Amino acid sequence: MISIDLNLVWTIINLVVLYLLLRHFLIGPVMNIMEQRKQMIDDGFKNAEAAQADADRLKQEYETALSGAKQESVQLIENARKSAKAEYDRIINEAGEKAGTMIESAKENVRIEREQTMKELKSQIAGLAAASAAKIIGGNADDKESRDLYDQFLKEAGEGDGNADK
Amino acid sequence: MEELNCETMFTLPVVGGISESVVVTWIIMAVLVLLSIILTRNLRVENPGKVQLVLEAGISWAQNFFEGILGKESRRYSPYLITVLLYLAAANTLAPLFGFKPPTKDLNVTAALAIMSMCLIEFSGIRKNGVKHWVKHFAQPIPVVAPITVLEIVIRPLSLCMRLFGNMLAGFVVLELLKFFVPLIVPIPVSFYFDIFDGLLQAYVFVFLTALFMTEEME
Repeated sequence: MISIDLNLVWTIINLVVLYLLLRHFLIGPVMNIMEQRKQMIDDGFKNAEAAQADADRLKQEYETALSGAKQESVQLIENARKSAKAEYDRIINEAGEKAGTMIESAKENVRIEREQTMKELKSQIAGLAAASAAKIIGGNADDKESRDLYDQFLKEAGEGDGNADK
Repeated sequence: MEELNCETMFTLPVVGGISESVVVTWIIMAVLVLLSIILTRNLRVENPGKVQLVLEAGISWAQNFFEGILGKESRRYSPYLITVLLYLAAANTLAPLFGFKPPTKDLNVTAALAIMSMCLIEFSGIRKNGVKHWVKHFAQPIPVVAPITVLEIVIRPLSLCMRLFGNMLAGFVVLELLKFFVPLIVPIPVSFYFDIFDGLLQAYVFVFLTALFMTEEME
């Protein structure tokens, strides 16, 4: 019952063979698969982390760009407002100036016209007065002499008249 | 009590008699290898099947168990320990349940296991710390104990061998006697205890102690 013989050696050989077989057929493949899965999960985590970092970086960029754009738009609006104001002022001034010159020239025109009319009136009145005087005297007086006389008279009367006008 | 004897199954011309336990070991080997080939046929990294999950859970449990005792850098020893665990579990439980005599009832088998454990224990110590340290560590903590520590090389595997052999033989003897006196129903719970519980327990104890001795040696 209790005896050691050659079967001990066979058992050792058996065990070694079993060890090699099981390592090759059972433990190896299963460990390999688990290792692969672990690797895969690690890779997944790594990828997720990288993606997260990427997204953060992009978000940062966008935010910077966005705030830059905001500032730029504010600047643009300010510029536009300034230039519009300048244009407005320019146009208003121009218009004012133009209106001023127009009024000025109109006044001038009116004045010139009035002077002209006055002159015409004066000569006509002088003619009329001469004619009426000639009629009254009898028409024998010297034409030129009498006209000078009436002119003189008219001038005096006109001066008096002008003073009264003013 | 002829059941207690390990009969010689057949005799080969050169190598001599082949005992029953060796033949049963062959059968167990064949079953284990075939099972592992069938179970690991289509392993997948993604979406593992139920069988694969059970297999992975078992292997990783054993792996973690041995890694916990031996440390992370000694994981190369765990395949052998897993093999011994599987072999002992199969030999202690399956063999009696299917009507074979457990091979661990044969002193040759337990002695072979113990010799391999002894080799592994000393090898792991030498590999980790070098021959010099291995020779020196017999004289620690004081040189007086050197003879005892040298004896330990033999005593440790001997205790492993005898514990396994004694447990299995005793269980076997008790069960055979019970079957002889009360052949009906009563042997069932006793068989559960001696064949399944004690068998698995002894397998566990054997690899656990081997791993423990290895750690001790690797200090």
